[in-house]
Amino acid sequence: MSTPATAAEGTAAESLTSVFVRLKVSLLRNGLRQSAGRRAAYVASMVVALLFAALQFLGLIALRGNAHAAAVGVLLVAVLALGWAVMPLFFPSGDETLDPTRLVMLPLRPAPLIRALLAASLVGIGPLFTLCLAAGAVIAVARGAAALAVGFLAIAFTLLVCVALARAVAAANVRLLTSRKGRDLAVLSGLVVAIGAQFVNFGVQRLGSSGGLAPLEPFADVLRWIPPAAAVDAVDSVSDGAYATALAQLALTAAALAALLYSWQRNLTRLMTSPDGSTLGAAGPTSDGVRGSTGLARLLPFLRADARGGTPSRTATVMERSLRYIWRDPKTKAAWITSLAIGLIVPLFNALQGTGSVYFACFAAGMLGIQMYNQFGQDTSAFWMVAMTISSTRDAYLELCGRALALLVVTLPYATLVTVLTTALLGDWRALPEVLGLSFALLGAMLATGAWSSARFPYSIPQEGYKNVAPGQAGLAWISIFGGMVAAALLCAPVLALTIWLHVAGADAWTWLLLPLGTAYGAGITALGLRLAAPRTAGRLPEILAAVSKG
Amino acid sequence: MVDEAAGVPAVRVQGLWKRFGEQIAVAGIDLELPSGRFIGLVGPNGAGKTTTLSMVTGLLRPDHGTVEVAGRDVWRDPAQVKARIGVLPEGLRLFERLSGRELLSYTGRLRGLPGAEVDKRAAQLLDVLDLAGAQHKLVVDYSTGMRKKIGLAAALLHNPEVLFLDEPFEGVDPVSAQTIRGVLERYTASGATVVFSSHVMELVESLCDWVAVMAAGRIRAHGTLEDVRGEAASLQEAFLELVGAGARTAGSDLDWLGGGAR
Repeated sequence: MSTPATAAEGTAAESLTSVFVRLKVSLLRNGLRQSAGRRAAYVASMVVALLFAALQFLGLIALRGNAHAAAVGVLLVAVLALGWAVMPLFFPSGDETLDPTRLVMLPLRPAPLIRALLAASLVGIGPLFTLCLAAGAVIAVARGAAALAVGFLAIAFTLLVCVALARAVAAANVRLLTSRKGRDLAVLSGLVVAIGAQFVNFGVQRLGSSGGLAPLEPFADVLRWIPPAAAVDAVDSVSDGAYATALAQLALTAAALAALLYSWQRNLTRLMTSPDGSTLGAAGPTSDGVRGSTGLARLLPFLRADARGGTPSRTATVMERSLRYIWRDPKTKAAWITSLAIGLIVPLFNALQGTGSVYFACFAAGMLGIQMYNQFGQDTSAFWMVAMTISSTRDAYLELCGRALALLVVTLPYATLVTVLTTALLGDWRALPEVLGLSFALLGAMLATGAWSSARFPYSIPQEGYKNVAPGQAGLAWISIFGGMVAAALLCAPVLALTIWLHVAGADAWTWLLLPLGTAYGAGITALGLRLAAPRTAGRLPEILAAVSKG
Repeated sequence: MVDEAAGVPAVRVQGLWKRFGEQIAVAGIDLELPSGRFIGLVGPNGAGKTTTLSMVTGLLRPDHGTVEVAGRDVWRDPAQVKARIGVLPEGLRLFERLSGRELLSYTGRLRGLPGAEVDKRAAQLLDVLDLAGAQHKLVVDYSTGMRKKIGLAAALLHNPEVLFLDEPFEGVDPVSAQTIRGVLERYTASGATVVFSSHVMELVESLCDWVAVMAAGRIRAHGTLEDVRGEAASLQEAFLELVGAGARTAGSDLDWLGGGAR
């Protein structure tokens, strides 16, 4: 591909390339024509992307002459390349020309096809954004004519490596992306972005507090040898007169580009000459077995108490299924990971920055308690299987107990861990029992209100896409979650009041009492909440089923 | 258990009504389904079959009317009724993130059966329904036919007296359909009752000995297959007559169609 083609091949490839470029432009244009909303969204995202690109471009130019300009440029390009690599995994339907199955019936040779597809992928907002960023990074470090000339090469390399990287990753994972597992993965993607943003936010704050760009240098020292960042750093090397280094960096980038194109072409050829993932998935009956069942049973031996011949308790059965769903159902998993991550990040990062309070540790219990809300909505319309086996208030009570216990198996150790870690970071060990007591009281209140509002305000969770509420039920979801949280806070008031009173009265020596008191209060209020929710659940089975079946 | 309940109809429905907004889905049904029979509930799409079955099985609350299964009121005595019926609804999910085997194990234990018994029955059902090879695969990865079969297994696990199946053969391949048929025939031969809905007349005619015809939310005819068929050549013709579609022959309006261009 990088070798020059003969004249005849050249014209053929050129025409194929122009066909694909025009195809891409048409696809973009027709996509905009479909609806006003989509056009508005596209234009808005384009404006935002271009503004962002322009700001970065200007910012990088402003950095010109700064000692750390090269490090910033290298880091930005590396992060951008990472974005290109993971994007096709999370948004597989983003680009129709990425789907090789659409080209299968056409008589095309691999080499010209790759050239044409590569050229077509250079059309779009993403490549334009990349171009702006790479140009900014080059201008920030280029000094002298030679450096500028290498700069043009570096920009071209960066663009090509990014685009080829996205294509190669997509082609290598087509089988995954067209399967059920790929769709499950897509549900988790928003989460990775959200949690990643927390880390970026934290990193930027650290950088801000250290008052300079120097902490970036160690990262840049590694990244300047990884393409495509290596190409950008080659410009800096030429500016410094280190021609050998620059040559090595450029050669490395060229080799990486060639390797990416080779792997892309190989995968593409294989994909276009063999059956696709959906066919294979249906053909193999036992290809995707479940391994976790025995492990889980071993982890929680009491769940299998019935294996010795006794009648199993409903609570254990429900608990087992709930725990399996935390891991296996993408929507439930996404919700749990969000709660776990935010419950850890908020108190810990605040403690690390020295702005935190040990009471922030209650955040973990609060975030995880949210999982008790809309329990039956998490079942989707499969709730009918539960409804068919609930014929008394007692059945409903055991069902709710199983769900609450499954939650506690994860939540109790986790909330304790977060509290201990936060306390350790702040060194405020005297407050540990008190904060633990508050956490457990809050958790109990959340479980109680969660169980009650699960029965009273159920709503559907759509299984496809990113939405967590079915259209028309947003009001219900608000009542369920926010009403429940306010109620939970009010329910905690006695424990809070006691805490404040002990501190105000100067009885700090007695705050350890809050651990047993808070725990007992949490346990008591949970039991009460489940008791109150059970008759509501048993009496409203058809209504709950109707409410959770809209997704 | 069937002998003990002899004379008591499997299902007795009186004055059943259900309205969704402006639309009346079920407009006053009175019906007695005899026990020990293979019963077909037939009707065109939108006739109210699914709504009726949902109300009979306790999954949907009726606006008016009473439903008794094996002599017990569905809404006043749910414990007795739910233990005696098995259900395979249409359009509702299963717990799809469990494997086939886990789903049966879960359902059986929720029903309060002893663990060892659940495992024994599940293994046999999986075997008979030809699902043994896919028992460790998640239900979400099952084909339509496999889903119907695992749903049927879950409905049969507690050995119900009356089995309600909503469109059990919809989208099912011929091999799976034959397997399901075999299991159901064996089950009714032992004296249990099967009530299933369908809009495929040939299927109902070949399987059922008792049918109820539904259209526009009402029962148009019910009785043994022979009674309902009457003089007509097939159930299909009798059905078209009953729902008032028989007279509308596609003829006179399209007299220009065919016979060369004019």
